[in-house]
Amino acid sequence: MSSRFVLFDNTAITGTGYIFAMVNRMQMLYYILILPKHLMHPYMILGIIGVGILSQINLLILSYYLKSNYSSQGYLGFVQLFGERLVRLFAFFGLFVILVKVIVTALGYVEIIHQFMFPSMKTSWLIFFLMASSFYIASQGMEKTIRLGLIAFLATIWIIVLYVPYFLPPIAEIHHLYPLVPGEISIHSWYGFLMIWSALSGPEYLICLGPWIGPKEKILKGLSIGNALSVIEYLILFVACLLYFGSNYLEKISFPVVNMLRYLQSPVFERIDLIIISLIMIYVLFLIALLLLYFYGAVRIAAGRIKVPTNRKGFLGSAAAIFICMLIINGWYWREGIELNIWTTLQLWLGAITYFLVPSFLLIAMKWKRGSS
Amino acid sequence: MRYIKRVILPLLCCVLVLSGCSSPFVEDNTVEEVAPVTFWSLNKGENGKLEITTLVPPIMNEKKRLFTLDVDLLKQGKKEFNLKFYRELKLGQLRMLLINENLAKKEVISLINTILSDPDVSPRLYLVLVKGNFEEYLEKEKNEKKNLDYFLYRMFRHYERRNQGEMTIVNIHEFMEKVYSPYSDPVLPIFKVNEKKFTYEGTAFFKKNDYVGSVKDMEDQMFQLLANDHYLKNLPLSPLKVSLGQVRSRVHMKVDRNYKTLSIKVHVKGRIDEYRGHRNILSSSEMRKLNKDIESYLQGQSMDLVKKTQKLKAEPLEVGAHTLSPLLQPMSRKEWLNYYENMKVKVDYIVKIEPLSL
Repeated sequence: MSSRFVLFDNTAITGTGYIFAMVNRMQMLYYILILPKHLMHPYMILGIIGVGILSQINLLILSYYLKSNYSSQGYLGFVQLFGERLVRLFAFFGLFVILVKVIVTALGYVEIIHQFMFPSMKTSWLIFFLMASSFYIASQGMEKTIRLGLIAFLATIWIIVLYVPYFLPPIAEIHHLYPLVPGEISIHSWYGFLMIWSALSGPEYLICLGPWIGPKEKILKGLSIGNALSVIEYLILFVACLLYFGSNYLEKISFPVVNMLRYLQSPVFERIDLIIISLIMIYVLFLIALLLLYFYGAVRIAAGRIKVPTNRKGFLGSAAAIFICMLIINGWYWREGIELNIWTTLQLWLGAITYFLVPSFLLIAMKWKRGSS
Repeated sequence: MRYIKRVILPLLCCVLVLSGCSSPFVEDNTVEEVAPVTFWSLNKGENGKLEITTLVPPIMNEKKRLFTLDVDLLKQGKKEFNLKFYRELKLGQLRMLLINENLAKKEVISLINTILSDPDVSPRLYLVLVKGNFEEYLEKEKNEKKNLDYFLYRMFRHYERRNQGEMTIVNIHEFMEKVYSPYSDPVLPIFKVNEKKFTYEGTAFFKKNDYVGSVKDMEDQMFQLLANDHYLKNLPLSPLKVSLGQVRSRVHMKVDRNYKTLSIKVHVKGRIDEYRGHRNILSSSEMRKLNKDIESYLQGQSMDLVKKTQKLKAEPLEVGAHTLSPLLQPMSRKEWLNYYENMKVKVDYIVKIEPLSL
């Protein structure tokens, strides 16, 4: 084949709209589908607002890095900050973090498809279809994948309107929202805060997109709108779940956000949930494609082959490696129950830690560099 | 060459996958090959077994068939049915679950959980308690009424939409949500059935998940006004020889701080549809007297209903929900029910009726 296989080309700069769409969709991933069950208590409404504000502060810190010159240079910027050896080490750790995120997102989503749409189908087939489609998207290159983010956002944001009926009587029982203040804050509720924080993680992945995003002065605006919209969506979905199920029943439902949709009735489609689950796929695909590209990039950095041009074999190889890991974990231990399974818990902690550490770490590194030079 | 790779290869893959050669899709939903059922009727069988019955609707030119199976597990019924009948049973169109009263005394939740966990079944499935032998009625009626099961479903749906009142209609989600909610208990409609008739009788009260009692006639109408739909198209008060129409109620419940008294204030609006008493209701003073009579009669009846729930220690009226507030910690259900049981009840009716128009 004569055509060049370029994954990380950079011909145009994407605007604020893309950042905002990407941040928002990254924050609305798998966790929102299971989160209400684990938050459970009405006072967690305040928790979501509080953590949302903290997340906003974190994004403020992140935006310092994204606005800097280091960011727009991409890989070279990191090398300037840390030196090549350290960057390779970070990329190596990054591989692990990305791997867990891809796996949890994909397997979580596949489990929903399996449970609601195709219970008789083998999950490995579903994983295969999902991975093959995201591989196709990713192979179109970074630019097109980022552009898909906006499409994914526009195609799925309207779903939130479907949850309006849950706020109206007779479905809504207002006393399910009482009491709004916690009696005592137990370890369980701290864990809830951590989950919200982790669910809001995702924007830290933007640090690798430095060369692609701009204009620089509007980055914070894009981040803030995206974050605020996510928090509002979380609130709407959580309150709808509470009004519809009530805390005690909510705890027993494995995918409350999806399950609720089954109650809606439309004269044309009886099972609205099936359509919505399929739509969610658009942004799951987008994110997996993006992370595949990240993974391949990280492999190249970690292996010290950043100068060698991207090739099909390498990209296919890294995607295949992720696919095989997924199959193994799927066969080994993956089941959504009352408690989070081990991989979801791992992602919970990893997401929370990276979201917390990455922006401030970069900021400190920048300050330190400026001080020493 | 390029064209082949780009278009034909993926197409070939799709065709291979979809056409059954190691196809990932296992289930077949061809209409002619499946038997969708609209209801399950559950009864207590012999030796602790379950007896489940359904009608299979005709798809081609065939008669409706009645199937009764004795099983230990609900889903076993599905399997045994498939072994017996040439079409495969599908639950995607399941609309009603009719549970015999005798069975409901023993267990309800495990049955409902089984149904609810099936992603094919909508949470809008209607739940009904049946008093009497529903199977006999089916056997007899299936030849006379062509779409018996479908008409039953239409009836439930009609009374559920826009909260039309008249009867309690409960779907599986509403039931379960109340089972888990600490300040309310579920209710179900009871239908009485014999060989010829299938009629609404009243409302069954549950305590958490145990069937504890039921109300009918006047008490059931009071229940509709106080807790269910707050609307009755027709409210006959036979001792007063008056019948009210389009009755709408607004209910204010208040529990005092020490949880000693419960005062219920009910505003009722409606009109007189029929009057066959001795008062001349065209005169306003007589009309006022009738109004007073109606108020005190409704008060008495409602009081009986509330007392009945107090005696049962059940919460179908959701009184406890009125003690909740956004800033106060709620007490436990047990604590509340202890208070509720000994509460003094005061019911006030404020009735506004338009006189009979001629």
